[in-house]
Amino acid sequence: MENNNDVVAARRRALAEALRQGDPVVVSPSGEVATREEMQDEGLTAIQVPDGKLA
Amino acid sequence: MAYYWYENDPELYKAEVLAMRKFFPSFQIGQLQDGSGRLYWRGKVQPLGEGGMVWDLMLIYKNNHPHAGQDEYGGSIQILPISPRLKDIAQKMMPLLEQTYGSYDACVKRGFGLGLPHIYRSNFGRNEEYFICTADPKYFKSGQSRSTSAASSLSWACKWIMLCEMWLNGEISDDVALEGNY
Repeated sequence: MENNNDVVAARRRALAEALRQGDPVVVSPSGEVATREEMQDEGLTAIQVPDGKLA
Repeated sequence: MAYYWYENDPELYKAEVLAMRKFFPSFQIGQLQDGSGRLYWRGKVQPLGEGGMVWDLMLIYKNNHPHAGQDEYGGSIQILPISPRLKDIAQKMMPLLEQTYGSYDACVKRGFGLGLPHIYRSNFGRNEEYFICTADPKYFKSGQSRSTSAASSLSWACKWIMLCEMWLNGEISDDVALEGNY
């Protein structure tokens, strides 16, 4: 059974990959960044980070 | 015509408050007590969730909000981390970067002149502070019908924090931290 540390590590790997690929990400009311699919699965309100390169 | 954007454009003020209440309800609005009249939002975020750091942030409107000049990184909303303080982290990173790139000049050339990716410095009160440089000015919207809000700036900042923490932990490379298409 996957323990919590594995879940957290897998999530961070997915976010790092999203950064590398330039995939869109969203931000929850607590400020947590997630992929759009992840947030939809949890049914949370989230703001999509606008397109554009960080300066 | 009033000097402050929130007096000139009460509809924009309402829209700013509504967006923050919707997307970041824990953030509170206030006014700087420095005589500038500038409004700010303050609250905490944890962009990496469990296992990540909690960041106490201030989002400070410039009085020309929503207008931003070509060289105003982050546009008309400045994002200042109160805790952790960027200047402290950057000063710890600088010697490591100098070791990696061989000299301070090489760090500057690479884009790490301040010790962290995508930050800028500016005076705040009596101190010089380091701010999150959220978005290239060309992406900052300041037109008649659409403008970049505190809520969208904060979402950019959360993405920057994620990037910064991952870079500090060695989870993404210098190239991705500096040049990635994100």
